[in-house]
Amino acid sequence: MEAVLRTQALSLWYGSVQALKGVSLDVLENRVTALIGPSGCGKSTFLKTLDRMTQLIPGVRVEGEIVYRGRSIFDPAVDVTTLRRQVGMVFQKPNPFPMSIYDNVAYGPRTHGIRRHGELDAIVEKSLRQAAIWDEVKDRLKRSALSLSGGQQQRICIARALAVEPDVLLMDEATSALDPISTSKIEELIAQLRERYTIVIVTHNMQQAVRVSDQCAFFLQGELVEAGDTQGVFSAPKDPRTQNYITGRFG
Amino acid sequence: MKLCKAVLPALILSLSLSACGGPGNRVTALGSSSMDGVMGILAEQYGLDHPDVVVSVEGGGSSAGVEAAITGDAHIGLSSRRLKGAERERGLVETIVALDGIAIIVSEDNPVDNLTAQQLADVYTGAVTNWAQVGGADVPIAPVGREAGSGTRDGFEQATGTQGRCVLTQELISTGAVVEAVRGNTAGGAVGYASLSAVEGQEGIKLVTIDGAACTEETVLDGSYPVQRPFVLVTRQEGLTEPARSFFAWAVSPQAAELIRRAGAVPTAQEGREEYEP
Amino acid sequence: MSHEKMLNRKRVEGGIKALFFLCGLTAVGAVLFISVYLVFAGVPAIQELGLVRFVLGDTWNPQQEQYGILPFLLTSMAGTGGAVLLGVPVGVLTALFLAKTARPGWAKAIRAAVALLAGIPSVVYGLVGMVVLVPAVQRAFSLPSGANLLSAVLVLSVMILPSIVRVAETALRAVPREYEEASLALGATPAETMFRVSLPAARSGVATAAALGVGRALGEAMAIIMVSGNVANLPAGPFTAVRFLTTAIASEMNYAPMGSLWRRALFSIGLVLFLFIMLVNAALHGVIRGAGEE
Repeated sequence: MEAVLRTQALSLWYGSVQALKGVSLDVLENRVTALIGPSGCGKSTFLKTLDRMTQLIPGVRVEGEIVYRGRSIFDPAVDVTTLRRQVGMVFQKPNPFPMSIYDNVAYGPRTHGIRRHGELDAIVEKSLRQAAIWDEVKDRLKRSALSLSGGQQQRICIARALAVEPDVLLMDEATSALDPISTSKIEELIAQLRERYTIVIVTHNMQQAVRVSDQCAFFLQGELVEAGDTQGVFSAPKDPRTQNYITGRFG
Repeated sequence: MKLCKAVLPALILSLSLSACGGPGNRVTALGSSSMDGVMGILAEQYGLDHPDVVVSVEGGGSSAGVEAAITGDAHIGLSSRRLKGAERERGLVETIVALDGIAIIVSEDNPVDNLTAQQLADVYTGAVTNWAQVGGADVPIAPVGREAGSGTRDGFEQATGTQGRCVLTQELISTGAVVEAVRGNTAGGAVGYASLSAVEGQEGIKLVTIDGAACTEETVLDGSYPVQRPFVLVTRQEGLTEPARSFFAWAVSPQAAELIRRAGAVPTAQEGREEYEP
Repeated sequence: MSHEKMLNRKRVEGGIKALFFLCGLTAVGAVLFISVYLVFAGVPAIQELGLVRFVLGDTWNPQQEQYGILPFLLTSMAGTGGAVLLGVPVGVLTALFLAKTARPGWAKAIRAAVALLAGIPSVVYGLVGMVVLVPAVQRAFSLPSGANLLSAVLVLSVMILPSIVRVAETALRAVPREYEEASLALGATPAETMFRVSLPAARSGVATAAALGVGRALGEAMAIIMVSGNVANLPAGPFTAVRFLTTAIASEMNYAPMGSLWRRALFSIGLVLFLFIMLVNAALHGVIRGAGEE
């Protein structure tokens, strides 16, 4: 199985505080990988480093390697905007732009040079279908994205991320701000999307991890404690810390 | 607390009264700000000679001065132009206390030293637009003047016969600004007019002679310098209150002549001469 | 607490509320007073001359009984328009720089400079304009005189910069970071993010900044009277010596005799200026509200 993203001994410091300690993890193609662990364990930090978003924060220092399809993402020759097109992100709190639904989804393609109306129309429809929200919004594409419910907004954000045709999709606790019905809709979506994309999700909801993911990685205090097949990690954890977390001894 | 309530108003009242020099001993003159220099010196000297009288001088322009004389808001109206027909009909007396030469200034680098009266008028009406046409360098002329209603402008236009026909590149609202504009013109092509007293000793500019006459006391008095205007004291025919009448009489007498000269204007009252025939 | 004390507190409370109300009334009262006074002072001359002849007349020459204010109206429009055209882009770009990309040292210095600019009195702008800008414009374009519409526009655009920069910067800072993060995560560059996400998101604030600039420019007199030429010409081009609605009043108020048509016409200019500013404010308000609602 191809490792789309390979992390080797990744360490990260916010100033003098070390948030990641030598993490080595492979993300497999067309699989859903879930990063789990208690608050502050570094899973979000790890995720956001995969598309170099942590480097927007001043004072951040990184050591180690992340290789995407054979190329280090820290290589100076790598154009970070291209990387971010290929490795897309959906955030915890839905953050559609204060624009129309159409403009939100078309934002990415327009940024990357696609101007013709016909092309954009096709991309917008395709992305909204992939995000399973086309039928709900097809008659009001010109309305503000902010007029939608939370769950719908998050699906717009997913459509927006898909519109640039990424390779990998990162989802940072994408459902924790949503109600149960929206959450299950998005979980269904994730199951459908993995046929075409490689997905990495961060979740603090263990049941979600079990429902949705193929691979699972448990983080604790900046360290990667255990990783492997989701079924395996949950039914027969190798590390006692994993066992304690899964059984709810701490959270 | 109660003492304060009584003392404070009394204090304020007495202070304001003392500044007046008493309500009956005040002489007010109002009008043309061009006459500030002359009136200032006269008021100061008169105040020294008569400590119980206060002569106050205010600006507001020639028209405001005439108006004040009509309404009685001031004892003496100050005007840097002759009275108009309509104003004379309202029972006003005009007394020319001095003459003000209006100097014509150009950049000190300008080779032109003299203009005829006709050339001056042509420059300001736009009939002549380049210094080369009046014997100077090939530099466009930029005429600078004062705003409509200014006594200086009125005097200039009357004296040059250019009323209502002046084409200016700038209309400034003070003499200082006019001097600065002429001085600051980078092509050296500006020409302006201003009261003689205001431009004496200024650097960066020079005065031109008109019809060969330089702007001096003699040429203004005998009329050979054509660009001049009268400083007029405007009073009501019914007569003035006593302090105002004394001040007036003194101001137009030969005793005040030297002071007027010091202020940069040309006194009309000379030894032996009682009234100036305009 | 005793019954008396409670009553007392209620009275004090009532008193304070009444005081606030009075203060508010003062503002309303002042505006009402000025409006009513202007109408009473300004209407007679317009009636006598006829609205069309007054507003569309192209010659202002009181000595010859001509009272057309079209030159002033067009100049105020052109001058303010020009100042806004120059000042708003520069101001907004400065605000973007300060809000999004400036290094702390530079940001502090620029903000301090902007604050200083805001504090300079109009008259000083006029003085510096007359001594420095007017000769410079004359030299740069080989003109007979540098006092013209262009110089006035340049002075005005510098004067309105501080208001624009401050309000626009506040509006840009208020744009939620999440929008910018989303844009970057999609592969947009920081510059693209600034112009395609931050600026549009802050458009109601930026419109307010522009409105402030317009207001200041329309009302300026002292700063431009010494650099604009102050001649009642139609603004035929940037190098024409011109006079604004504001400077028209300032130049001649001292000289127009009481009770004359001239003086009443000056008040009418005041009324026109007042109405003009109200109209512009209302229009801008509408634009701002429209921008905010999207």
